[in-house]
Amino acid sequence: MTADAATAGERLVADWSPTAGRVLLGLVLAWFGYHELVQPALWTGYVPVLSSTSAAAVVLVLAHGWLLLVLAVALVAGIVPRLAAAAAALLLLQIVITLTATAGLSDLTLRDVGVLGLAVCLTGRGTQRLTV
Amino acid sequence: MASDRTRVSPRGLTLLAATAVVGLVLAIHGWSAHNSSRLPGPLAGSGPASTTPAAGRHSAAPSPPRASASPSAGPLLRSQPFAQYAFRVWPGVPGATAKSAMTGLSISVRKRGNGLLVTAGLAGQAARQPKFYPGGTDVYVVEATMGDDSGNTDYNLGDDGLVVTSAAGRILQ
Repeated sequence: MTADAATAGERLVADWSPTAGRVLLGLVLAWFGYHELVQPALWTGYVPVLSSTSAAAVVLVLAHGWLLLVLAVALVAGIVPRLAAAAAALLLLQIVITLTATAGLSDLTLRDVGVLGLAVCLTGRGTQRLTV
Repeated sequence: MASDRTRVSPRGLTLLAATAVVGLVLAIHGWSAHNSSRLPGPLAGSGPASTTPAAGRHSAAPSPPRASASPSAGPLLRSQPFAQYAFRVWPGVPGATAKSAMTGLSISVRKRGNGLLVTAGLAGQAARQPKFYPGGTDVYVVEATMGDDSGNTDYNLGDDGLVVTSAAGRILQ
C-alpha cells in the first residue's frame, strides 16, 4: 500500500465515520422514541419521582418519545446535526444521572454512558456528509 | 457532498415539521391506548427493584390486610397482547427466561385447596399480602423487555406484571 493510498483511506474514514456515528445514534433515538410513543405505559417506570401509573408519567414519556423522534430524524438526515447531538447529549446525561441515582451503577448505566460519549463527540464535528 | 451546517434548509425544515406531526399522531395514539397496553398484576407502578442496597431507594411499607373480592375469570391469556411476554413460573421450575423475567421481583406460590395463594412484590422490600386465586392453576410473570434488567435490578417495573390463570387458561382478575 502506498502512502497516498493510506492517506486516502484515512481521509475516507475521517470523512465518513462521523456520518456513520450520527446515523447510528439517530437509529438508537428513533427506536426508543417510537416505542415510547406507541406504548408509553411500558416506559413510565423510568420516570423519576412520579408514580408510573400516573397520567403525568405517561405524558412525560410521550413528550420524551416525541423529542427523541425529532432528534433522530435530525441526526439521520443531518439537519443541524451538532445542535441535535448536543440536545441528545443532554437527554442522555439526564438518563444516566437518573438511572445512577435510582439504582446505582450497572452495565445498563455504563452502556448509556457510551452512547452519551458518542453524542458528545458528534457535537464537535462541524463538517458532515449525507445531509438534507 | 460535505457541509458544515449551522442553519436549517427549507427541505430540512419540512422534514422536521413532518416528523413533528407524525410524532404528534403517534403520541395521540399512544395516549389513547396507554390504558389497554398496561400490563396486569400488582407489580406495575412500583419503582426500580433491586436486591442490592441502592442509593435513593426506599422500602415500601407492607400493604395492610384487606378483604379482596374473589378473582373472577377473565379473557384467555393467549388472546392478550402481552401473552408473548408471559413466562410461566408455577407449577414446576421456572426456565431460564422466566428467571430472567423475575429479576428484581419476589414471587412465591402455594397451593391452597382448589386455588393458589400468591405473594408477589419487589425483591428486597417488605412482602406484600398474599392473594388467594380460587381455581388458579398457573402463574406467569410478564416482562415486556429484558433490556431493563441488570444483575439483580429491574430498572423499569412499568413493563412487568403477574398473571394467574385457571386450568382453561383464563386470567383470574
